[in-house]
Amino acid sequence: MSTYKDRYKDADNGLRFQDLVYQGNFKGMDPVPDGILGDKVLRQRAKSKVLEKVTKEDVLRDQFSVNELNDLNNYLAWNIWDVLVMRATEGVSGMIPRQEYEILAFMQEFLRWPEILEMTTNEVGAQGVIDIGATARREIGTKINCVHDWCIGAVGFGMGRCGLLALEAIQPQDYVRESNVILKFMQRILWGKRQDGYILNSQDRYRCRIHEKDVIQNLAGQIEYFEPGSEKHDSFVRFNAAAELLSFLDHYDCRLGLGDTGPYELPDGKIMIIRDRFTNEEAYDWSDVCDHEKVPHCYTLCLVIDPEKMALDEIRVNDISTTFTRPKNYIEHIVGGAVFVREKWNTPMGEVYPIKISELDKRLEGIQQATFKLYTKFSRMSRRTLITNGMYVYYIDMILPHLRLAGTYEKACKDYEFWEIDQRVSNYYYDIVKRGFAQATVPQKIFSGEGYLPFPDDVSLTRSKYYWK
Amino acid sequence: MSYVAEGYNSFETKKSPSGIVKYLPDPKSVIALIQSGKLKEHILLVQGGTTTFLAPALSMGAIGVITMSGAPESHLGILSREFQMPCVMTAYLTESDARYVTGGNNEAHFAAMIKALDGKKVQLHCEDRETGRVALLS
Repeated sequence: MSTYKDRYKDADNGLRFQDLVYQGNFKGMDPVPDGILGDKVLRQRAKSKVLEKVTKEDVLRDQFSVNELNDLNNYLAWNIWDVLVMRATEGVSGMIPRQEYEILAFMQEFLRWPEILEMTTNEVGAQGVIDIGATARREIGTKINCVHDWCIGAVGFGMGRCGLLALEAIQPQDYVRESNVILKFMQRILWGKRQDGYILNSQDRYRCRIHEKDVIQNLAGQIEYFEPGSEKHDSFVRFNAAAELLSFLDHYDCRLGLGDTGPYELPDGKIMIIRDRFTNEEAYDWSDVCDHEKVPHCYTLCLVIDPEKMALDEIRVNDISTTFTRPKNYIEHIVGGAVFVREKWNTPMGEVYPIKISELDKRLEGIQQATFKLYTKFSRMSRRTLITNGMYVYYIDMILPHLRLAGTYEKACKDYEFWEIDQRVSNYYYDIVKRGFAQATVPQKIFSGEGYLPFPDDVSLTRSKYYWK
Repeated sequence: MSYVAEGYNSFETKKSPSGIVKYLPDPKSVIALIQSGKLKEHILLVQGGTTTFLAPALSMGAIGVITMSGAPESHLGILSREFQMPCVMTAYLTESDARYVTGGNNEAHFAAMIKALDGKKVQLHCEDRETGRVALLS
């Protein structure tokens, strides 16, 4: 018998998915756990109301207070720990120098995004940014999704500022104005997408139920049901895994290629996860091998899970678009599925088409070939090239979908040199390999929460940074 | 049954694959294994818990993996669950006190793991919710 619905009762504190606890900026206070209880504690400790449901008027206001900035800083720091601390144990890739490209990308984002996001906000207006977020409610195969929207604030602001503080390149009182620009953009996108007053899934007990009812009904109408362990089940699961793997690889071993929403409860009590797998991103030159194998921009899978058969205790669709359950193995309890194709990022929703499970094996071959070719291609690249490409995946892709819909991507490229790497960050390339900065110092600062220093209480909200030493 | 190593269990499964442990140090060794046609004879031993390193092996049907770092929340942990391929993560030798330390110098620990497991016939046991185990068959 499942108990997962108990998690949605106000008094419930959720399960603990890990034994570790979080300290962050809360020195001298009890450490914070993961999950629903962690969200409650963070909100109790907030000095402002920014972590509660906020109104459209709040979101349209251009300026956060210092307390709001610090509450968001603390919450994002905990949220990053919540979703990534166990992943952080994974060590070096052996293939892609991910820790190196990550830290460089964080800093590049914090330094370069503010003027590009400000330009975009000026072009479409604050309401226009909210509207971009809202497009996700009627689409599948869109990168306006949890992980991209979260990355604006959690990665560009949170980890970017954290990295520069750790490098002692900036001080806590620097770049207040720019931080506000990044966080406002994030808040507007996420608020427009969710439209329940919250911005993050963790505030809503790890639910991301953003799609409109008629969209859900249309997708659910295409579901093919099957018995677990049947040939259809195996084909569907195999395809899901292979598409996910290629999405990871095309996005340099990061989660920007994935996008889950849900869980959506179906009329018969089963639950559906809508899962985007971005298997071919045309912005990357290495994706040419995906073109050769006729792999589309995105495969969207609808997974129907039987919560009773798996005795589901908790399901989390976290803020980086990944589903985790207790018990962990939900795959063997998938009882139905559907697959849709979005050929290009801008293919109209009316041209997104379904494919039958019996036709997946033909598609699977293309995915496997593209995976092998991409792997071979990466294995021949120099470390420097891999790091540069990885930086692009983070720095470009995390805001690419928002700029595309705003119509400001070309302007960002032409007038703001979007694809150039800042000279300061280029120089940091040589610093990050010294004294374990990329592999030990920054991960420790990021995952312990120690590195997200608060803004001083009396700091000017318009303060930028003019003095470098 | 005695177990030579154990670690985080990526997901609960009754599957219990066995094979000769093959340590894969670099992408070339992964490609060579795929091209040898003997992928399914081996339990793969790798250092990291990331997914790209093993990408073609996962795609072509690897039967089981032991990692020396990472967790079920790591990308390889997620993919092993999606592929329903048993995976024991951040494994350590049951008769040793050495453990993987995130961000630390783990060279000696890794070397001991490789020495103890590479080339040995093992079976993975992954029924438990939290712990995956490695049994030595010969």
